[in-house]
Amino acid sequence: MIADAATGVALALRGEGDPYALSGMLRHEDALTPAAVRVLGADALAPYAVEHRAAPAGVDDEAVVRQALMAYPPGDGASEVSLWSYRGLVEAAHAFLPGDGRPWPPAPEAGTAWVGDSPWPKLSHRVSQLAALALPGLASGLAEQLAARTDDLSRGFVRAVRRRDWLQAAGVGRWLARLPDVPGTLGLDSGLAFVHQMGGADPRVALHVAAARRFYGRGG
Amino acid sequence: MVTDRTAPVETAILAAEVEGLLEPAEADGVFRDTRECGGALLLAALLLISPPTPRPKTDVR
Amino acid sequence: MTGGHGDPGLLDHMVEASLGWLDGARGSFRLPPDVTTDADPNLTLKPLGELAELSQLIGAVHPREEIRRTARGLFAFAWNETRDGELFAELIRGEPFATYPVELYGVFARAGLRHAEADELVRTTTRLRGWRVAREDHTRTLGVLNAERRIGLRQHADFASVLALTGLGRLPEPWALDRKAAYGITHDVFHLTDWGRDRQRLSPELAGYLRLWLPSWLENWLEEQLWDLVGELLAVTACLPKAPYDPVAWQRLAGAQAADGSVPEMGAAPGSGDPDEMFTACYHSTLVTAFAATLARIAADEAEAGPRGGDPVLVGGRTPGESESAP
Repeated sequence: MIADAATGVALALRGEGDPYALSGMLRHEDALTPAAVRVLGADALAPYAVEHRAAPAGVDDEAVVRQALMAYPPGDGASEVSLWSYRGLVEAAHAFLPGDGRPWPPAPEAGTAWVGDSPWPKLSHRVSQLAALALPGLASGLAEQLAARTDDLSRGFVRAVRRRDWLQAAGVGRWLARLPDVPGTLGLDSGLAFVHQMGGADPRVALHVAAARRFYGRGG
Repeated sequence: MVTDRTAPVETAILAAEVEGLLEPAEADGVFRDTRECGGALLLAALLLISPPTPRPKTDVR
Repeated sequence: MTGGHGDPGLLDHMVEASLGWLDGARGSFRLPPDVTTDADPNLTLKPLGELAELSQLIGAVHPREEIRRTARGLFAFAWNETRDGELFAELIRGEPFATYPVELYGVFARAGLRHAEADELVRTTTRLRGWRVAREDHTRTLGVLNAERRIGLRQHADFASVLALTGLGRLPEPWALDRKAAYGITHDVFHLTDWGRDRQRLSPELAGYLRLWLPSWLENWLEEQLWDLVGELLAVTACLPKAPYDPVAWQRLAGAQAADGSVPEMGAAPGSGDPDEMFTACYHSTLVTAFAATLARIAADEAEAGPRGGDPVLVGGRTPGESESAP
């Protein structure tokens, strides 16, 4: 279900297939829809971040997102990834959905101490788990902090590709696509293309590569 | 993976599963190296203080 | 990878332990009677050449006197095994167009150990147009060029032009690197810097490239437990200006060193107890460990004292009386 949804998002980001509608892909009545939306996070709404979209988001989409936010709030002691990912979905709802006047749930506070503290392999893995936040306008504070560790994230990309962890490589690569000053010798564009070729059978890999291309023009 | 749409939805279990999917453990590294093919090995009679003779390896750890 | 000044205690212990094992393995380094004809050079000349190359360096530059003494003993042993260079004359007569006798001879010539007949032979063979035909491995060509320089021959090609064709000079995508390419890059650096003696030859561009990507490669090959490559990558790291020191990587390499001082090439040492098998599996990594720890120790000293740009030991390459250490 998540895989299918990721495929749908990737298609939409590539401008292929029918006009994207979250609520068409993940139906409101389906019991598992909220879980799937929560796991996809902001990426559930990524196609709505594309400028000059043919079909705008509708009220059904809002209902699906609202339902996910209600059903799976980060509990006590939730992990940073869970907090950030939830926050990302809230931010994306604000940014990309028209809004029906009702307030969205508040975005939880999410820390950034780990950005400075984590050794680079761990940082890279965590950032790849937050790949959905690499969308225009989202988590701008986090993006600023991550920019200070661009070299380390680039090292993480190298490590991930060399150990054939395509999902991590695609997630970190997507974040790198958003950051300024990525080292030229990394070869990020050909790196993303390579990861897509090698690991694109995983819909989430395809999604991250498509997002890097669509929103940040990286990856060829 | 959340795949079975007909299963009874048990909220607590699903919530735990969602958390797990949000933060999966790092995959094990797969190290598979380039194989040598053809006569190159025979030609390189001596690799003085240079790469040791390549060992065929398909290490999946 | 962090800054910091290294851990001299740990580094010195690793060198001492490695040299101790190598010293005890002299019998396995000894050349067999058929070394110039039927013996496998990869199992005879290559180990001895590596022993000579690295023990010469350690004997010249290590700050600790007793370590230098052990290393010089090993270097003298290696020269003795070549029968004061007679071996090279024989090898060149047997295989006049092979590069390896020249590369090996260069190790000793660098330290002032010469053999008159070998000198005359290499002057003749390396003058040939055939000697200048491009070789298929550019990294290896750098080794040949370095040997020519050490012997005092005219270099058969332009070092910088060949370097530009290598895995280092091309600055390849750091993720597009297999094991062979990684060994290639480490050796590009060793030949360029004359095994860490001439580290300022590393251009800022190349140093910047290595500084960025060495941590990733180290992490990968630590995970694979390919200890000789880990050692080589640490040695390259120590060649960088203001060399970074990665305490975790050093601890892990130290952890791979057995109580007897040997370092297996990969994973754990073979458990069979067969001395030949042990030697083949360990000699290279053990040498590399001693080499890397020596370079890291020097880098740590420099970080402590500030740059020692004009140090004759590192730039000129010879310590006074060094050649007297050979028999």
